[in-house]
Amino acid sequence: MSSTRAAPAPPSRRPAPERGRRRADDRRLTWRNRLYRFDMRYMPYLMIAPFFLLFLVFGLFPLLFNAVVSLRNYRLDDPTLPYWAGFENFSRLVADEDFWNALYNTFGIFLLSTVPQLLLALLVASLLNRRLRAQTWWRVGVLLPYVTPIVASTLVFSVFFSRDFGMANWVLGLFGIGGADDPIDWRADKTHAWIAIATMVNWKWIGYNALLYLAAMQSIPRDVYEAAAIDGAGQWKQLWRITVPMIQPVVLFTVILSTIGGLQLFTEPMLFDPNAQAATGGPNGEWQTIAQLIYKVGWRDLNLGYAAAMSWALFLIILVVAGLNYLLTNRLSGGRR
Amino acid sequence: MKRSWTHLARTAAVGAVSLVMIAACSGRSTTGSSDAADGQVTLKINFWGDFGLQDLKAKYESEHPNVKIQLNSGEYNAQHEDLQKKLVAGNGAPDIAAIDEGFMVQFRSQSDKFVNLLDKGAGSYESKYLPWKWKQSLSADGKTQIGLGTDVGGLAMCYRTDLFKAAGLPTDRDQVSALWPTWDTFIEVGQQYTAKSKKKFIDAGTNLFNPVLGQQPVGFYDDQEQLRMEQGPKVAFDYTVKAVQSGLSANLVSFQADWDKGFTSGAFAVLACPAWMLGHIQQTAPGTKGKWDIAAVPGGGGNWGGSFLTIPKQGKHVDEAYQLLEWLVAPEQQIEIFKKVGNLPSQPALYADPAIADFKNPFFNDAPVGQIFPTMAQGLTPQYLGKKNGPTRVAVENVIRRVENKSLKPDAAWSEAVKEAEKAATS
Repeated sequence: MSSTRAAPAPPSRRPAPERGRRRADDRRLTWRNRLYRFDMRYMPYLMIAPFFLLFLVFGLFPLLFNAVVSLRNYRLDDPTLPYWAGFENFSRLVADEDFWNALYNTFGIFLLSTVPQLLLALLVASLLNRRLRAQTWWRVGVLLPYVTPIVASTLVFSVFFSRDFGMANWVLGLFGIGGADDPIDWRADKTHAWIAIATMVNWKWIGYNALLYLAAMQSIPRDVYEAAAIDGAGQWKQLWRITVPMIQPVVLFTVILSTIGGLQLFTEPMLFDPNAQAATGGPNGEWQTIAQLIYKVGWRDLNLGYAAAMSWALFLIILVVAGLNYLLTNRLSGGRR
Repeated sequence: MKRSWTHLARTAAVGAVSLVMIAACSGRSTTGSSDAADGQVTLKINFWGDFGLQDLKAKYESEHPNVKIQLNSGEYNAQHEDLQKKLVAGNGAPDIAAIDEGFMVQFRSQSDKFVNLLDKGAGSYESKYLPWKWKQSLSADGKTQIGLGTDVGGLAMCYRTDLFKAAGLPTDRDQVSALWPTWDTFIEVGQQYTAKSKKKFIDAGTNLFNPVLGQQPVGFYDDQEQLRMEQGPKVAFDYTVKAVQSGLSANLVSFQADWDKGFTSGAFAVLACPAWMLGHIQQTAPGTKGKWDIAAVPGGGGNWGGSFLTIPKQGKHVDEAYQLLEWLVAPEQQIEIFKKVGNLPSQPALYADPAIADFKNPFFNDAPVGQIFPTMAQGLTPQYLGKKNGPTRVAVENVIRRVENKSLKPDAAWSEAVKEAEKAATS
């Protein structure tokens, strides 16, 4: 700071030369010093600015614009409506049974996918954390579903879960469930549709989460386990009492990430429907998720204002649920964060 | 320190430049057409699948040296959604946009965003087109015509001769047509078939509902945009539920894996068949060559699918686009397209052309395709399609699917259909 640099100078009655000297001083320091200071102070911000600029353009602006649209009458097929709708779209939302049905579906599929997904990922990770033959092969192997294009895998699953010639029914038939005479119609009721869609989600994300857990597990010192083993803790107890608490930050991360992903579920339910472009999620909305409903309201019913209101509702719901999950997971894994 | 600074500066500069470029790309208006200094005009046409335009493009360009045509084929749904977004955004739409009849109602209700072809003198075409085809792209008040028709689907019944024979039914196409002059007789034939063969007769209830509804004078909505479930839809729905209840339907969903397999496995013996469906059957079930034939549709006429060419108003070369559009729907080009990809023109005068009239399809026992489909297309009475026709149809089709998968009792089905239709009407 210039004031501290000026401080040692004795008080003088002749300010003019001093000012001159200071100016000369500054000039000597000038480029390097200033650059250095600029580098230290502003460069970090400049370096991360591109992200924030892009976020501003493609994240924040659409978010705010969406909020404006949600307060408008924005019907593509009826431009004669008054411009502003006030909170009409939101009050309509509360009474819309399609919305509550979609919310129910979203949470149902979310629970059926996220909980088994993270538990299985934990198990897979702890298996992979042991000494195995062909370790790399296994680790890359569990990641394969993640790199499969989501549309491709969903289309395959959609055939897998078809009523008459689906592999799922064939396999279940071997165990005496369903079978050729009375095949399970995976698209006829909520339970079966949810299971089918949750299976797709689980298949895709277990490996990804397992690798995240594995990375965290490898930073746990071995001697903790040795000490626990001496104290008589078995594999299972070690997993829950040592591993999970010690990788807690990663667990939180995956929980929040899969919450967001689960509540925004779109591609799987969309392509599971044989009549995909109608976006009704089954003949009676059996598996229509909120993201799908938003798409339907926006681009099938052409009611963009109402769709925007729904998007905002979804945004708030995700915030609340992610927050709850954070607290819950924090408590469960014994952390004090 | 200095070195690393210059390095940093360079990186920052590169970053800044690329950011500017990103911004520039996203900000630039990608209007389909651009003017070069020498009066060159580029016309962009958006469509899906194969419209058979490749050769025509070269021909038109050589006749009009100042025009360049850009063909942009995309996926069916994506093209329509893209067009809708560009119309909202106010720029970026192509000079000529193809629209399928399934999406026509949606765009027709935004007729202010399209060039009114009547202003360009398209009124003289009215008499050349099938009346219902002309009406499909006409605005509700009849004052704006947003598109000129290209192809129509027509509608006939494709049936499996081998399965019919095994069930003791006639196989000759004229005799089969005579079996089912009405939908009542059609269902009776189906009952005979299922009783004898223990197999399903039709592919899906929805594929019975739609042709029957298409033949009614009034569809889901009357021309005052009022939902009229008690008339046409009720007739079609009752036939459908009756067929499903008698176990005629294989309860499949069109264009789904099980449906495709059904063509080969004989899961159904007959299905409603527009002209473009023939290609689908040939591709999905090549092994069934010669086992198919084509008969008339009960009730006397029908159509499924077909497209229009429109000119979005935001384009910069509306006049040139209209010239090209007129050229594309002219008889020579329409027949050229039929020869190339089999799309049936929507101008009845062309059906007499030997290229169409004498066309037979060997896959379907040499059925005179060029005779059957035009007859069916001409037999259809024009029907007004309401603004909400698409969503309403989906809603009622979903109720039919629920009857088929037994999650809804047939007795309760009609009141449920009315409820769902009303919901769709007000959505």
